Order: sequence, then structure tokens, then C-alpha cells
Amino acid sequence: MRKKKESKKTIVLTGTAGFYGSSLLRELEKDPRYPNIIAIDCRKPPFELKKTRFYRMSLTETLADSKLVDLLKNEEIDTFIHMAFPYSPPHNLEAVHDLVSVGTMYILNCCAALKVRKIIMSSTTEVYGAHPSNPNFLSEDYERRGGYKSRFLRDKIEAENQFLAFAKKHPETIVTILRPCTTLGPNVRNYKTTFLQRSVLMRVMGYDPLVQFVHEDDVMRAFKLILENDCPGVYNIVGEGVLPISRVLKIAGKLSLPIPSPLLYPFVQLMWYAGIFAAPSSRLDFLKYLSVADGERAKKIGFKPKYSSKDALLSFLGAQRVKNVRLLERTVS
Amino acid sequence: MNDEGKIHYLKRGPGESWEELARRLETRLSELEKELGHHPRKEKTPALKLLKTFWFGDENEPVEYDEFGRDINFVKKVKPLFDFLYYNYWRVRVQGVKNVPSEGRGLIVANHSGTLPYDGAMIGLAVHNDHPVRRDVRFLVEDFVYHFPFLGTFMYRIGGVRACQENAERLLRENHLVTVFPEGIKGIGKHFKNRYQLQRFGRAGFIKLALKTGSPLIPTAVIGAEEIHPMIYKSTILARPLGVPYLPVTPTLPLLGPLGLIPLPSKWSIYFGEPFDFHKTYGPDAVNDQLLINRLSEEVRQKIQEMVIEGLKQRRSTWFG
Repeated sequence: MRKKKESKKTIVLTGTAGFYGSSLLRELEKDPRYPNIIAIDCRKPPFELKKTRFYRMSLTETLADSKLVDLLKNEEIDTFIHMAFPYSPPHNLEAVHDLVSVGTMYILNCCAALKVRKIIMSSTTEVYGAHPSNPNFLSEDYERRGGYKSRFLRDKIEAENQFLAFAKKHPETIVTILRPCTTLGPNVRNYKTTFLQRSVLMRVMGYDPLVQFVHEDDVMRAFKLILENDCPGVYNIVGEGVLPISRVLKIAGKLSLPIPSPLLYPFVQLMWYAGIFAAPSSRLDFLKYLSVADGERAKKIGFKPKYSSKDALLSFLGAQRVKNVRLLERTVS
Repeated sequence: MNDEGKIHYLKRGPGESWEELARRLETRLSELEKELGHHPRKEKTPALKLLKTFWFGDENEPVEYDEFGRDINFVKKVKPLFDFLYYNYWRVRVQGVKNVPSEGRGLIVANHSGTLPYDGAMIGLAVHNDHPVRRDVRFLVEDFVYHFPFLGTFMYRIGGVRACQENAERLLRENHLVTVFPEGIKGIGKHFKNRYQLQRFGRAGFIKLALKTGSPLIPTAVIGAEEIHPMIYKSTILARPLGVPYLPVTPTLPLLGPLGLIPLPSKWSIYFGEPFDFHKTYGPDAVNDQLLINRLSEEVRQKIQEMVIEGLKQRRSTWFG
């Protein structure tokens, strides 16, 4: 691990309209150590930019790699952070497949052409999949079985593999992949928060796996840590401790209906097709089986989560309650 | 405080033990409660709610579970049932429990039997009830258990952990006692005619664990578990769609329906043998020597087989010991 010198070099971010991308961009905007920032996305970041240069561009268009190289060839690019990934299961699998697989390929071609010093990718611990034969704490080297049932996760694993292959091919480049687990906090929105916002939830009867959470601020802290220090490799970013799902629902004060899994799977799939539920039935596995990642490796490089799993959940729930109250006020006035 | 504003102290009388004082204090307190008209309300809880609090825990009790999901309150709830099995039903007799280390890590290696894995729980109880330090033991569970509703959840709440190298290593590094059954499914699903014959010890993962983590191995023989569900036939074809390794046929099992799940009351004995300290003899580098590992594994197997034979010699009757 080498400390990075104070440099005037450029940092490029993709996917700055998404949650991780926009949060990290906000952090970097505040940080005077990073004067040159370039943001690339097909939508504008959701706040006003002061020093960041924003280029509107879709990574799925043909020859996006050449266009990117033309755009960035006069810059001295130090770090490339690739965050243009959807986090909630999509309905339009084809478009997302284009973005995740082909977009990643374009980004890596561009990085190779520009000889970028360091590339960082955001992934998720869902790539391990939920499986009854999982160890209680999945290390970074464990087999990724999330793609067996879900094409969306298969694409994500494939994108990770592209990065790992790139690291083999270009040993001079520092390649880091971060896998945050379920991220909760006051601002984050994904299919899991949608699930936790419902007042009546469905559980799989008889299954009560242990789950873990990480706070959004901790995820940002991890990304900044990787920016400041050079740590090649894959890292799980998780909060301390685990909670059984039943405990999570109890803390959240939700009413939960236990439904036998042979009935629940087709029902959830139907609701997913109808656009009422935020995730297809393959995600029910995460309510049935264990999928908890081990955060030891990230601790060794100096990542200390400030929130435990339970604190992250409480932070999310507290913000949620405040939002609900505000919503009431708005309807009244 | 009484009406005159004087405080009455309860003093320990001459020659009175603390227990007697505590009892006096309790009776005095209950008297006071009656005087003040305080009656703790006894509500009738509906059966469904009882079941719910049993399974999901009470709203008001502090939650204590460790990183593997062992729920201390749940253990307290189910312990009476297991204690009944231990003391009254199978009347477990324990020998050599001093061989289990009082502190630090240890790997209890035992023969597996009985169609349903009661032996893991009983070994744990033997150490908890009869060892001077009353240590808790974690046991490793076959992963097919986690396919089933309720069963997998129950197992991890009482301290079972899915059997794999990563989990066992983590437990040992945290200085737990861990029970392993190297025979696995082959042992527990033995035909009754093969009772007390130890099956092959798999890939000797437990030896690697002991060498890697520097844990002593305690060879353990369980006598009596073979007779709780004597398997006279097993069907693997019917078991496949259910995701179980086998469907047992015992004298009671399909015949009496759910009643057949009640195990038979044989008399059990558990023998803990002298620990093997392979990590001291061979050092951690021996992990890569597969030949040596297999040899050591066979050595442990022979030792447990000898202990089983010895235990059977001492046993005069299956049901009365």
C-alpha cells in the first residue's frame, strides 16, 4: 500500500446519476485535494456542480470507447471510477446487459488506451448469491454463485471478471473492486429499501437467515480510502454484526406474513411482471438462505465502518419516519 | 418502609447461610407485595402467540446472538427439553470428560449415528452439564438441513453451524469447542446391520483444521445412539425430490406416522478419549502433506473404533446399560 502523492491529476467517474456515483461525486466536490473531476453519464448529476466537468454520454452507444478516448486524451487521468451499474433488478434485461457488459468493455478499452494508473469498480455482495451451502462468512475468493438464477447478477459477475482479466493483462494498473453489501441510510434508494418501506411484508415461511447491512456513509468512506491509497484486489465492504431477518422486521415494526415458499415464488414473479414488486422471485433466495460477506480484508487496509449492521438499519428507519411525517405535512398544506 | 417511617433491615442471623437469607428476603418481598395489593397480572396468552414468542423471541427480552446466529434466549427455552432427553430418556453416562480442555480451542471428533443427528446435541450437553467449566460446544451441521423450513433456522439458533472448512476454522480461531463427525451422512445413515462400524472418514478435513488452527483433537465414542432409530431400509430414490440424502425406514417410522419420529429410549454412554496433539508433533506445515494427513485421519478413526468396541464390551443391555 503506497500513499498517493498530492497530485493535480484528473479523476473520472461514470454513473454519476446513480446513488453511489452521485454520493461519491458530492464528496469529491467538497474535497479540495481533487481539483480535476470529470463526470460521465447519460443523465445530469442531481445537484449543482462547482468544479466537476460533466459530459453527457451513453456507454451503450457504438464505439463509445473511441469517443471516450477522444474526449479524454488531453487529460492526465490518474483514476477511473466505474460506477455505471444499476443496483435494482431491471425489467429491460437487454438494455442493462448492454450497459453492464458492453459498457464495461468500452470503459476498459478506454483505460488501456489512456494508460490509466488506477481503476475502481463498484460491485455488490449479491454476486455470491444466497445458497444453503454458503459458509457463514463469504470471503472475497469464494465462488460467486449469484448468477445461477439471475441474469442481472450474471452480467455483474461478468463485468467483474472483465476487470479481473484486465488486472491480469495489465499488471502495471491498479485494479480495485469494491463489493458493498446491502446499503442502507437516509438517502439510498434501491429495491431493498422499497421492500423495507412497505408496512406489510411477505416472508418465506420457516426461513430466517442472517443478514448484514452497511451504511451509505461507510461505503463512501471506503471509496475515498481506495482513492487515497493504492489497494489492488477485491474487497467486501460490510458493517459489523449480523441480524436475523425476523429481527430486522421487528426493529422496523413491520407486519410480516409468512408464506410457504412454493406459493410465494410464483406469486412474487407474477407481481414482478405486473410491475407491482420491485424484484423478481429469484431475490427471494436472499430471504431464505445465508449470504453474508466477510469484511476482514477491508479492515486490513484500514477500513473501519462507523455503523454496525443494526445502526445502519436504524439510521435508515429513522430517516424513513421523518420522511413519512414530511409527506403528511405536504398533503395537509 | 412501614407506616411509622422506620426502615426494617433484614439481617443475616448467626449461622444462617446466604441462601436462607435470600429465601427469607423473597418471602418478605412477596408478603410486602400482598400488603401493598400488588398482584402481578397473569394474562392468558393464546397458543399462537406463545408459539410466536417461542420462535421469534419476546418483544421485551434483550437480544443476544453471536455472529453465527446462536440465540442464547432460544437455547434457554429449548434446554429443558434436551435436558429431559439427556437425564431421563437416554440417561447419558459420561466418561473422561476431563479430556475436554477447560479453555481454548478444541475439536471433538465423534462417531455419527442415529438417523437423526441427536448425538451432536448430546455431546454438547455432556460437556455443558458434566464438565467442571460447563463449556458450550458448537457443532457442525450437514448443509441439506438448511434446505428445509424451520429446521435450518432451529439448528443455527441452538448453536449449529453449517459444516465447511471456513466456518470450522473461524470457530476454532475464536477458541470455541467444535464437534465434528467426519463420517458425515455415511455414518448417520448407516443400515442397522452395520451399527457401530465406523465408515470412511472423507477427505480428512478435520485433521487439516487441527493442524492449521493448532487445536487438540478429542476422540469421542457415542454408544447407544445407533438404536434410537434402527434403520432397516433406506430409499434414496424417493428422497431425491425432497432434497434429503435418504428416506429412512425404521420399525416405527412410516408405520406410525409422526409418532415414528419419537426416538427409542436406549441407554447412552459417551466416552471422551485422550486428546491427540498433532499440531505440536507435526507443526502447521504438515497441512500440505496429504499422505500424512490421511494417515493421521485413519489413526483417529482406529482410536474411535477401539473406544466404540470397548464401550460395547462394557454395555450389558441396550436399554438399561
